[in-house]
Amino acid sequence: MDKIILLYFLLYAGLYAQESQGEKQQLENQCLQCHMKHQIPNELIYQRYLMKYSTADGMGKAIKEYLKHPKKENSIMPLPFFLKFPMKEALVLDDENLEKNIRMFLDMYDVKKKLVLP
Amino acid sequence: MLDIDLLKSEKKSLIRFLLIYLGSTFLLFSVAAWIFYTSQKHYLIDQQREALKYQAQTITQELRTLHTTYDKSTLIYPVHPLIDSAIYDLDKQYIFGTQKETNLLDEKYYMADENILYSLSQVEPYYMGAAYLLVSKNLDKEPILELQKNIGLFLLGAGVFFTILGWFLGRLFIAPMRDSMERMNLFIQDTTHELNTPISTILTNIEMLETFGKCEENKELKRIEIASKSLSRIYDDLTYLNLNHNYYRHIESLDMSDLLRERMVYFSTMAEHKGLILEISIDTDIVLEIDKNDATRLVDNLVTNAIKYNKPKGLLKVNLTKAFLSVGDTGIGIQKKDLDSIVCRFKRANKSEGGFGIGLDIVNQVVNSYGFVLNINSEPDKGTEVVVKWTK
Repeated sequence: MDKIILLYFLLYAGLYAQESQGEKQQLENQCLQCHMKHQIPNELIYQRYLMKYSTADGMGKAIKEYLKHPKKENSIMPLPFFLKFPMKEALVLDDENLEKNIRMFLDMYDVKKKLVLP
Repeated sequence: MLDIDLLKSEKKSLIRFLLIYLGSTFLLFSVAAWIFYTSQKHYLIDQQREALKYQAQTITQELRTLHTTYDKSTLIYPVHPLIDSAIYDLDKQYIFGTQKETNLLDEKYYMADENILYSLSQVEPYYMGAAYLLVSKNLDKEPILELQKNIGLFLLGAGVFFTILGWFLGRLFIAPMRDSMERMNLFIQDTTHELNTPISTILTNIEMLETFGKCEENKELKRIEIASKSLSRIYDDLTYLNLNHNYYRHIESLDMSDLLRERMVYFSTMAEHKGLILEISIDTDIVLEIDKNDATRLVDNLVTNAIKYNKPKGLLKVNLTKAFLSVGDTGIGIQKKDLDSIVCRFKRANKSEGGFGIGLDIVNQVVNSYGFVLNINSEPDKGTEVVVKWTK
Protein backbone atom coordinates (compact mmCIF):
# COMPACT_ATOMS: atom_id res chain seq x y z
CA MET A 1 0.00 0.00 0.00
CA ASP A 2 2.83 2.31 0.95
CA LYS A 3 4.50 1.67 -2.38
CA ILE A 4 1.30 2.53 -4.26
CA ILE A 5 0.97 5.85 -2.39
CA LEU A 6 4.64 6.68 -2.98
CA LEU A 7 4.30 5.80 -6.69
CA TYR A 8 1.16 7.94 -6.94
CA PHE A 9 2.91 10.84 -5.22
CA LEU A 10 5.96 10.65 -7.48
CA LEU A 11 3.79 10.43 -10.57
CA TYR A 12 1.74 13.48 -9.44
CA ALA A 13 4.89 15.47 -8.57
CA GLY A 14 6.43 14.62 -11.91
CA LEU A 15 3.30 15.62 -13.80
CA TYR A 16 3.03 18.89 -11.79
CA ALA A 17 6.69 19.71 -12.45
CA GLN A 18 6.23 19.02 -16.10
CA GLU A 19 3.12 21.22 -16.22
CA SER A 20 4.88 24.01 -14.33
CA GLN A 21 7.88 23.77 -16.59
CA GLY A 22 5.54 24.00 -19.54
CA GLU A 23 3.85 27.14 -18.20
CA LYS A 24 7.22 28.74 -17.57
CA GLN A 25 8.28 27.92 -21.09
CA GLN A 26 5.05 29.48 -22.37
CA LEU A 27 5.78 32.68 -20.35
CA GLU A 28 9.25 32.92 -21.76
CA ASN A 29 8.06 32.36 -25.33
CA GLN A 30 5.08 34.64 -25.19
CA CYS A 31 6.37 37.44 -22.98
CA LEU A 32 9.94 37.50 -21.87
CA GLN A 33 11.58 36.54 -25.14
CA CYS A 34 11.28 40.05 -26.44
CA HIS A 35 12.87 41.48 -23.24
CA MET A 36 15.82 39.13 -23.56
CA LYS A 37 16.19 40.06 -27.17
CA HIS A 38 16.42 43.75 -26.32
CA GLN A 39 18.50 43.03 -23.18
CA ILE A 40 15.97 44.58 -20.85
CA PRO A 41 16.30 42.93 -17.39
CA ASN A 42 13.01 41.49 -16.18
CA GLU A 43 13.95 42.46 -12.59
CA LEU A 44 14.06 46.08 -13.72
CA ILE A 45 10.50 45.85 -15.07
CA TYR A 46 9.25 44.18 -11.87
CA GLN A 47 11.15 46.68 -9.71
CA ARG A 48 9.53 49.63 -11.47
CA TYR A 49 6.02 48.15 -11.23
CA LEU A 50 6.62 47.30 -7.56
CA MET A 51 7.77 50.82 -6.75
CA LYS A 52 4.70 52.32 -8.40
CA TYR A 53 1.87 49.92 -7.49
CA SER A 54 3.08 48.12 -4.32
CA THR A 55 0.55 45.24 -4.47
CA ALA A 56 0.42 42.21 -6.77
CA ASP A 57 -3.14 43.08 -7.78
CA GLY A 58 -2.20 46.61 -8.72
CA MET A 59 0.83 45.49 -10.67
CA GLY A 60 -1.17 42.74 -12.43
CA LYS A 61 -3.88 45.14 -13.59
CA ALA A 62 -1.35 47.70 -14.81
CA ILE A 63 0.68 45.08 -16.73
CA LYS A 64 -2.44 43.62 -18.32
CA GLU A 65 -3.67 47.05 -19.36
CA TYR A 66 -0.32 47.91 -20.91
CA LEU A 67 0.06 44.59 -22.71
CA LYS A 68 -3.40 44.86 -24.25
CA HIS A 69 -3.18 48.56 -25.07
CA PRO A 70 0.48 49.55 -25.12
CA LYS A 71 0.88 53.31 -24.93
CA LYS A 72 3.49 55.68 -23.57
CA GLU A 73 0.95 56.88 -21.00
CA ASN A 74 0.33 53.50 -19.42
CA SER A 75 3.87 52.19 -19.78
CA ILE A 76 6.00 51.78 -16.65
CA MET A 77 9.08 52.94 -18.56
CA PRO A 78 10.05 56.62 -18.70
CA LEU A 79 9.40 58.58 -21.87
CA PRO A 80 13.10 58.73 -22.95
CA PHE A 81 13.00 54.94 -23.08
CA PHE A 82 10.86 55.14 -26.22
CA LEU A 83 13.43 57.24 -27.99
CA LYS A 84 15.62 54.18 -28.03
CA PHE A 85 13.07 51.41 -28.13
CA PRO A 86 9.97 51.22 -30.30
CA MET A 87 6.51 50.90 -28.73
CA LYS A 88 5.61 47.22 -28.59
CA GLU A 89 2.58 45.89 -30.33
CA ALA A 90 -0.49 44.74 -28.44
CA LEU A 91 -0.17 41.19 -27.25
CA VAL A 92 -2.55 38.80 -28.96
CA LEU A 93 -3.41 36.43 -26.16
CA ASP A 94 -6.67 35.49 -24.54
CA ASP A 95 -7.36 36.98 -21.11
CA GLU A 96 -7.04 33.68 -19.29
CA ASN A 97 -3.57 32.91 -20.63
CA LEU A 98 -2.50 36.53 -20.27
CA GLU A 99 -3.51 36.65 -16.63
CA LYS A 100 -1.84 33.28 -15.99
CA ASN A 101 1.40 34.57 -17.52
CA ILE A 102 1.22 37.81 -15.53
CA ARG A 103 0.66 35.88 -12.28
CA MET A 104 3.64 33.67 -13.10
CA PHE A 105 5.81 36.70 -13.87
CA LEU A 106 4.87 38.37 -10.60
CA ASP A 107 5.43 35.16 -8.69
CA MET A 108 8.83 34.60 -10.32
CA TYR A 109 10.21 37.96 -9.08
CA ASP A 110 8.06 38.26 -5.93
CA VAL A 111 9.73 40.56 -3.39
CA LYS A 112 8.73 38.30 -0.48
CA LYS A 113 10.81 35.47 -1.96
CA LYS A 114 13.90 37.61 -2.28
CA LEU A 115 13.95 39.23 1.15
CA VAL A 116 15.96 37.53 3.88
CA LEU A 117 17.15 38.47 7.34
CA PRO A 118 20.88 38.86 7.86
CA MET B 1 -2.02 70.63 87.55
CA LEU B 2 -1.74 73.91 85.69
CA ASP B 3 1.59 72.85 84.20
CA ILE B 4 0.04 69.63 82.90
CA ASP B 5 -2.86 71.56 81.33
CA LEU B 6 -0.46 73.99 79.74
CA LEU B 7 1.53 71.21 78.13
CA LYS B 8 -1.60 69.41 76.98
CA SER B 9 -3.18 72.44 75.36
CA GLU B 10 0.17 73.43 73.87
CA LYS B 11 0.67 69.97 72.37
CA LYS B 12 -2.88 69.87 71.08
CA SER B 13 -2.53 73.25 69.36
CA LEU B 14 0.86 72.29 67.95
CA ILE B 15 -0.40 68.97 66.59
CA ARG B 16 -3.47 70.63 65.05
CA PHE B 17 -1.34 73.29 63.43
CA LEU B 18 1.14 70.72 62.13
CA LEU B 19 -1.62 68.52 60.74
CA ILE B 20 -3.25 71.37 58.86
CA TYR B 21 0.04 72.87 57.74
CA LEU B 22 1.67 69.60 56.67
CA GLY B 23 -1.55 68.23 55.20
CA SER B 24 -2.13 71.24 52.98
CA THR B 25 1.56 71.43 52.06
CA PHE B 26 1.65 67.72 51.22
CA LEU B 27 -1.52 68.02 49.13
CA LEU B 28 -0.14 71.00 47.23
CA PHE B 29 3.21 69.34 46.64
CA SER B 30 1.58 66.07 45.59
CA VAL B 31 -0.54 67.81 42.97
CA ALA B 32 2.45 69.81 41.73
CA ALA B 33 4.66 66.69 41.69
CA TRP B 34 1.99 64.71 39.81
CA ILE B 35 1.60 67.42 37.18
CA PHE B 36 5.38 67.69 36.85
CA TYR B 37 5.78 63.90 36.68
CA THR B 38 3.09 63.53 34.01
CA SER B 39 4.52 66.28 31.83
CA GLN B 40 8.09 65.01 32.25
CA LYS B 41 7.04 61.42 31.54
CA HIS B 42 5.31 62.50 28.33
CA TYR B 43 8.35 64.53 27.41
CA LEU B 44 10.67 61.53 27.95
CA ILE B 45 8.37 59.22 25.95
CA ASP B 46 8.08 61.81 23.19
CA GLN B 47 11.87 62.00 23.06
CA GLN B 48 12.06 58.23 22.57
CA ARG B 49 9.25 58.36 19.99
CA GLU B 50 11.10 61.05 18.06
CA ALA B 51 14.24 58.87 18.11
CA LEU B 52 12.12 55.99 16.79
CA LYS B 53 10.78 58.17 13.97
CA TYR B 54 14.33 59.03 13.08
CA GLN B 55 15.14 55.30 12.98
CA ALA B 56 12.13 54.79 10.69
CA GLN B 57 13.54 57.39 8.31
CA THR B 58 16.88 55.57 8.33
CA ILE B 59 15.16 52.27 7.51
CA THR B 60 13.24 53.97 4.67
CA GLN B 61 16.54 55.16 3.22
CA GLU B 62 17.95 51.64 3.53
CA LEU B 63 14.87 50.22 1.77
CA ARG B 64 15.48 52.70 -1.03
CA THR B 65 19.07 51.52 -1.36
CA LEU B 66 17.92 47.91 -1.24
CA HIS B 67 15.35 48.61 -3.94
CA THR B 68 18.07 49.72 -6.36
CA THR B 69 19.81 46.33 -5.98
CA TYR B 70 16.72 44.35 -6.90
CA ASP B 71 18.56 42.34 -9.53
CA LYS B 72 20.37 40.37 -6.82
CA SER B 73 19.03 36.92 -6.03
CA THR B 74 18.58 37.71 -2.32
CA LEU B 75 17.98 41.03 -0.62
CA ILE B 76 19.06 41.49 2.98
CA TYR B 77 16.41 43.29 5.00
CA PRO B 78 17.81 46.20 7.12
CA VAL B 79 18.01 45.22 10.76
CA HIS B 80 18.78 47.48 13.73
CA PRO B 81 19.52 46.34 17.27
CA LEU B 82 16.72 46.86 19.80
CA ILE B 83 14.34 47.88 17.02
CA ASP B 84 11.76 45.76 15.25
CA SER B 85 10.31 46.77 11.90
CA ALA B 86 8.01 45.45 9.21
CA ILE B 87 6.87 46.66 5.82
CA TYR B 88 3.29 46.50 4.54
CA ASP B 89 1.92 46.99 1.02
CA LEU B 90 -0.73 49.45 -0.09
CA ASP B 91 -3.49 47.04 1.00
CA LYS B 92 -1.86 46.89 4.46
CA GLN B 93 -0.79 43.32 3.85
CA TYR B 94 2.39 42.14 5.55
CA ILE B 95 5.44 41.92 3.23
CA PHE B 96 8.43 41.26 5.43
CA GLY B 97 10.17 42.34 8.64
CA THR B 98 11.72 41.45 11.95
CA GLN B 99 8.42 42.16 13.60
CA LYS B 100 5.60 39.64 13.59
CA GLU B 101 2.58 40.40 11.43
CA THR B 102 0.15 42.93 12.91
CA ASN B 103 -3.22 44.13 11.73
CA LEU B 104 -2.45 47.71 10.77
CA LEU B 105 -6.14 48.59 10.67
CA ASP B 106 -6.37 47.99 14.40
CA GLU B 107 -3.95 50.64 15.56
CA LYS B 108 -5.54 51.02 18.97
CA TYR B 109 -4.86 47.38 19.75
CA TYR B 110 -1.14 47.38 19.20
CA MET B 111 -0.61 50.98 20.31
CA ALA B 112 -2.33 50.15 23.62
CA ASP B 113 0.72 48.35 24.98
CA GLU B 114 2.39 51.01 27.14
CA ASN B 115 5.64 49.07 27.28
CA ILE B 116 6.27 49.22 23.52
CA LEU B 117 6.59 52.32 21.38
CA TYR B 118 5.27 52.18 17.81
CA SER B 119 5.76 54.43 14.85
CA LEU B 120 3.75 53.92 11.69
CA SER B 121 4.95 55.90 8.69
CA GLN B 122 3.96 55.97 5.05
CA VAL B 123 6.57 55.20 2.41
CA GLU B 124 6.40 56.74 -1.02
CA PRO B 125 7.46 55.75 -3.64
CA TYR B 126 6.86 52.17 -2.57
CA TYR B 127 10.44 50.94 -2.19
CA MET B 128 10.38 47.15 -2.01
CA GLY B 129 6.60 47.48 -2.39
CA ALA B 130 6.34 49.01 1.05
CA ALA B 131 3.58 51.59 1.45
CA TYR B 132 3.74 51.45 5.25
CA LEU B 133 6.63 50.99 7.63
CA LEU B 134 5.85 49.95 11.18
CA VAL B 135 8.72 50.38 13.63
CA SER B 136 8.66 49.41 17.30
CA LYS B 137 10.96 49.23 20.29
CA ASN B 138 10.62 48.48 23.96
CA LEU B 139 10.08 51.60 26.02
CA ASP B 140 13.28 52.50 27.90
CA LYS B 141 11.93 52.83 31.43
CA GLU B 142 15.23 53.82 32.99
CA PRO B 143 14.72 57.61 32.66
CA ILE B 144 11.13 57.32 33.91
CA LEU B 145 12.24 55.32 36.94
CA GLU B 146 14.98 57.88 37.51
CA LEU B 147 12.36 60.64 37.33
CA GLN B 148 10.13 58.78 39.80
CA LYS B 149 13.09 58.33 42.14
CA ASN B 150 14.04 62.02 41.93
CA ILE B 151 10.47 63.18 42.55
CA GLY B 152 10.18 60.74 45.45
CA LEU B 153 13.41 62.03 46.97
CA PHE B 154 12.30 65.62 46.44
CA LEU B 155 8.97 64.95 48.16
CA LEU B 156 10.76 63.20 51.02
CA GLY B 157 13.23 66.07 51.39
CA ALA B 158 10.46 68.65 51.18
CA GLY B 159 8.44 66.65 53.71
CA VAL B 160 11.33 66.59 56.19
CA PHE B 161 12.10 70.28 55.58
CA PHE B 162 8.48 71.41 55.98
CA THR B 163 7.99 69.21 59.03
CA ILE B 164 10.99 70.83 60.72
CA LEU B 165 9.89 74.27 59.53
CA GLY B 166 6.33 73.60 60.70
CA TRP B 167 7.60 72.47 64.07
CA PHE B 168 9.60 75.67 64.58
CA LEU B 169 6.80 77.87 63.21
CA GLY B 170 4.32 76.14 65.47
CA ARG B 171 6.55 76.68 68.49
CA LEU B 172 6.99 80.31 67.44
CA PHE B 173 3.23 80.87 67.08
CA ILE B 174 2.31 79.32 70.38
CA ALA B 175 5.15 81.05 72.25
CA PRO B 176 3.01 84.14 73.15
CA MET B 177 0.21 81.85 74.29
CA ARG B 178 2.67 79.87 76.38
CA ASP B 179 4.09 83.07 77.91
CA SER B 180 0.60 84.29 78.79
CA MET B 181 -0.30 80.98 80.37
CA GLU B 182 2.97 80.89 82.29
CA ARG B 183 2.42 84.42 83.52
CA MET B 184 -1.12 83.58 84.53
CA ASN B 185 0.16 80.50 86.29
CA LEU B 186 2.73 82.54 88.22
CA PHE B 187 0.18 85.25 88.97
CA ILE B 188 -2.22 82.75 90.49
CA GLN B 189 0.60 81.22 92.53
CA ASP B 190 1.68 84.69 93.72
CA THR B 191 -1.88 85.75 94.51
CA THR B 192 -2.56 82.69 96.64
CA HIS B 193 0.72 83.25 98.45
CA GLU B 194 0.16 86.97 98.91
CA LEU B 195 -3.34 86.44 100.25
CA ASN B 196 -2.33 83.52 102.41
CA THR B 197 0.26 85.44 104.46
CA PRO B 198 -1.99 88.26 105.83
CA ILE B 199 -4.98 85.96 106.20
CA SER B 200 -2.89 83.50 108.22
CA THR B 201 -1.58 86.39 110.34
CA ILE B 202 -5.10 87.63 111.02
CA LEU B 203 -6.44 84.18 111.88
CA THR B 204 -3.47 83.28 114.11
CA ASN B 205 -3.65 86.55 116.04
CA ILE B 206 -7.43 86.31 116.49
CA GLU B 207 -6.90 82.78 117.84
CA MET B 208 -4.24 84.10 120.23
CA LEU B 209 -6.62 86.83 121.45
CA GLU B 210 -9.31 84.24 122.02
CA THR B 211 -6.89 81.96 123.87
CA PHE B 212 -5.06 84.48 126.05
CA GLY B 213 -7.80 87.05 126.49
CA LYS B 214 -6.40 90.54 126.92
CA CYS B 215 -2.83 89.35 127.13
CA GLU B 216 -0.60 91.48 124.88
CA GLU B 217 -3.70 92.43 122.90
CA ASN B 218 -2.07 95.60 121.60
CA LYS B 219 0.60 93.59 119.77
CA GLU B 220 -1.88 91.15 118.26
CA LEU B 221 -4.18 93.93 117.16
CA LYS B 222 -1.29 95.70 115.44
CA ARG B 223 -0.42 92.52 113.56
CA ILE B 224 -4.06 92.16 112.52
CA GLU B 225 -4.06 95.80 111.43
CA ILE B 226 -0.91 95.34 109.32
CA ALA B 227 -2.26 92.17 107.71
CA SER B 228 -5.62 93.81 106.99
CA LYS B 229 -3.90 96.80 105.43
CA SER B 230 -1.80 94.47 103.28
CA LEU B 231 -4.97 92.74 102.09
CA SER B 232 -6.62 96.06 101.44
CA ARG B 233 -3.62 97.25 99.42
CA ILE B 234 -3.56 94.04 97.38
CA TYR B 235 -7.25 94.49 96.62
CA ASP B 236 -6.73 98.16 95.67
CA ASP B 237 -3.79 97.36 93.43
CA LEU B 238 -5.53 94.49 91.65
CA THR B 239 -8.68 96.56 91.20
CA TYR B 240 -6.62 99.42 89.84
CA LEU B 241 -4.88 97.13 87.32
CA ASN B 242 -8.11 95.43 86.34
CA LEU B 243 -10.16 98.62 85.89
CA ASN B 244 -7.37 100.85 84.65
CA HIS B 245 -8.65 101.10 81.09
CA ASN B 246 -12.26 101.83 81.99
CA TYR B 247 -11.62 103.82 85.13
CA TYR B 248 -13.10 107.30 85.26
CA ARG B 249 -10.57 109.75 86.70
CA HIS B 250 -11.82 112.64 88.75
CA ILE B 251 -9.07 115.19 88.30
CA GLU B 252 -9.00 117.66 91.17
CA SER B 253 -6.59 119.99 92.94
CA LEU B 254 -5.20 117.58 95.46
CA ASP B 255 -3.06 118.53 98.39
CA MET B 256 -0.28 116.01 98.08
CA SER B 257 1.23 117.09 101.40
CA ASP B 258 -1.92 116.09 103.27
CA LEU B 259 -2.27 112.88 101.30
CA LEU B 260 1.33 111.85 101.94
CA ARG B 261 1.07 112.59 105.65
CA GLU B 262 -2.13 110.58 105.85
CA ARG B 263 -0.57 107.60 104.01
CA MET B 264 2.55 107.72 106.18
CA VAL B 265 0.34 107.44 109.26
CA TYR B 266 -1.46 104.58 107.54
CA PHE B 267 1.80 102.69 106.92
CA SER B 268 3.47 103.70 110.21
CA THR B 269 2.41 100.46 111.89
CA MET B 270 4.11 98.44 109.14
CA ALA B 271 7.26 100.56 109.34
CA GLU B 272 7.37 100.35 113.12
CA HIS B 273 6.86 96.61 112.99
CA LYS B 274 10.02 96.34 110.86
CA GLY B 275 11.85 98.78 113.15
CA LEU B 276 12.50 101.31 110.39
CA ILE B 277 13.80 104.77 111.10
CA LEU B 278 11.62 107.30 109.29
CA GLU B 279 13.09 110.46 107.84
CA ILE B 280 10.15 112.38 106.45
CA SER B 281 10.34 115.82 104.91
CA ILE B 282 7.07 117.12 103.47
CA ASP B 283 6.77 120.67 102.21
CA THR B 284 3.40 122.20 102.87
CA ASP B 285 0.74 123.06 100.31
CA ILE B 286 2.03 120.97 97.47
CA VAL B 287 -1.01 120.82 95.22
CA LEU B 288 -1.30 118.71 92.06
CA GLU B 289 -4.03 118.34 89.47
CA ILE B 290 -4.55 114.61 89.91
CA ASP B 291 -7.12 111.93 90.63
CA LYS B 292 -7.01 110.99 94.30
CA ASN B 293 -6.98 107.26 93.69
CA ASP B 294 -4.07 107.61 91.22
CA ALA B 295 -2.13 109.69 93.77
CA THR B 296 -2.87 107.19 96.53
CA ARG B 297 -1.68 104.24 94.39
CA LEU B 298 1.48 106.14 93.49
CA VAL B 299 2.34 106.95 97.09
CA ASP B 300 1.23 103.58 98.52
CA ASN B 301 3.28 101.52 96.10
CA LEU B 302 6.41 103.60 96.55
CA VAL B 303 6.15 103.51 100.33
CA THR B 304 5.21 99.82 100.66
CA ASN B 305 8.05 98.85 98.31
CA ALA B 306 10.46 100.87 100.44
CA ILE B 307 9.16 99.16 103.59
CA LYS B 308 9.00 95.67 102.09
CA TYR B 309 12.47 95.69 100.52
CA ASN B 310 14.17 97.58 103.36
CA LYS B 311 16.47 95.92 105.82
CA PRO B 312 15.11 95.55 109.41
CA LYS B 313 15.88 98.73 111.34
CA GLY B 314 16.84 100.38 108.09
CA LEU B 315 16.19 103.95 107.00
CA LEU B 316 13.05 105.06 105.15
CA LYS B 317 13.39 108.51 103.60
CA VAL B 318 10.38 110.31 102.19
CA ASN B 319 10.76 113.75 100.70
CA LEU B 320 8.06 115.84 99.04
CA THR B 321 8.82 119.17 97.45
CA LYS B 322 7.25 121.33 94.73
CA ALA B 323 9.49 119.62 92.22
CA PHE B 324 9.38 115.98 93.20
CA LEU B 325 8.52 113.15 95.52
CA SER B 326 11.31 110.82 96.51
CA VAL B 327 11.13 107.63 98.52
CA GLY B 328 14.39 105.97 99.52
CA ASP B 329 15.31 102.87 101.46
CA THR B 330 18.44 101.15 102.64
CA GLY B 331 17.37 97.76 101.43
CA ILE B 332 18.53 95.10 99.03
CA GLY B 333 18.69 97.38 96.00
CA ILE B 334 18.23 96.46 92.35
CA GLN B 335 20.79 94.96 89.98
CA LYS B 336 21.88 97.34 87.21
CA LYS B 337 20.73 94.98 84.47
CA ASP B 338 17.19 94.95 85.93
CA LEU B 339 16.79 98.73 86.23
CA ASP B 340 15.34 99.18 82.71
CA SER B 341 12.80 96.42 83.02
CA ILE B 342 11.85 96.82 86.66
CA VAL B 343 8.76 98.88 85.79
CA CYS B 344 7.32 96.10 83.59
CA ARG B 345 4.32 94.22 84.89
CA PHE B 346 5.08 91.02 86.84
CA LYS B 347 8.78 91.91 86.94
CA ARG B 348 10.38 91.30 90.31
CA ALA B 349 14.06 92.01 90.84
CA ASN B 350 14.05 89.96 94.02
CA LYS B 351 11.63 87.17 94.72
CA SER B 352 12.52 86.69 98.39
CA GLU B 353 9.89 89.20 99.53
CA GLY B 354 6.95 87.86 97.57
CA GLY B 355 4.57 90.21 95.74
CA PHE B 356 3.18 90.29 92.22
CA GLY B 357 5.66 92.56 90.57
CA ILE B 358 2.89 95.07 89.83
CA GLY B 359 3.85 97.88 92.23
CA LEU B 360 6.25 99.79 90.01
CA ASP B 361 4.08 98.99 86.97
CA ILE B 362 1.24 100.93 88.66
CA VAL B 363 3.64 103.73 89.58
CA ASN B 364 4.83 103.86 85.97
CA GLN B 365 1.26 103.97 84.66
CA VAL B 366 0.37 106.90 86.92
CA VAL B 367 3.59 108.69 85.98
CA ASN B 368 2.91 108.23 82.26
CA SER B 369 -0.73 109.27 82.61
CA TYR B 370 0.20 112.65 84.11
CA GLY B 371 3.41 113.32 82.22
CA PHE B 372 5.62 112.94 85.30
CA VAL B 373 9.17 111.63 85.13
CA LEU B 374 10.30 108.53 86.99
CA ASN B 375 13.92 108.04 88.06
CA ILE B 376 15.18 105.00 89.91
CA ASN B 377 18.62 105.11 91.49
CA SER B 378 19.75 101.94 93.09
CA GLU B 379 22.80 100.10 94.29
CA PRO B 380 22.63 96.45 95.30
CA ASP B 381 22.79 95.94 99.08
CA LYS B 382 22.84 99.70 99.67
CA GLY B 383 19.39 100.83 98.79
CA THR B 384 17.03 102.34 96.28
CA GLU B 385 15.71 105.80 95.73
CA VAL B 386 12.69 106.35 93.52
CA VAL B 387 12.10 109.92 92.41
CA VAL B 388 8.97 111.18 90.70
CA LYS B 389 9.38 114.63 89.20
CA TRP B 390 6.13 116.50 88.70
CA THR B 391 7.25 118.30 85.57
CA LYS B 392 9.62 117.47 82.73
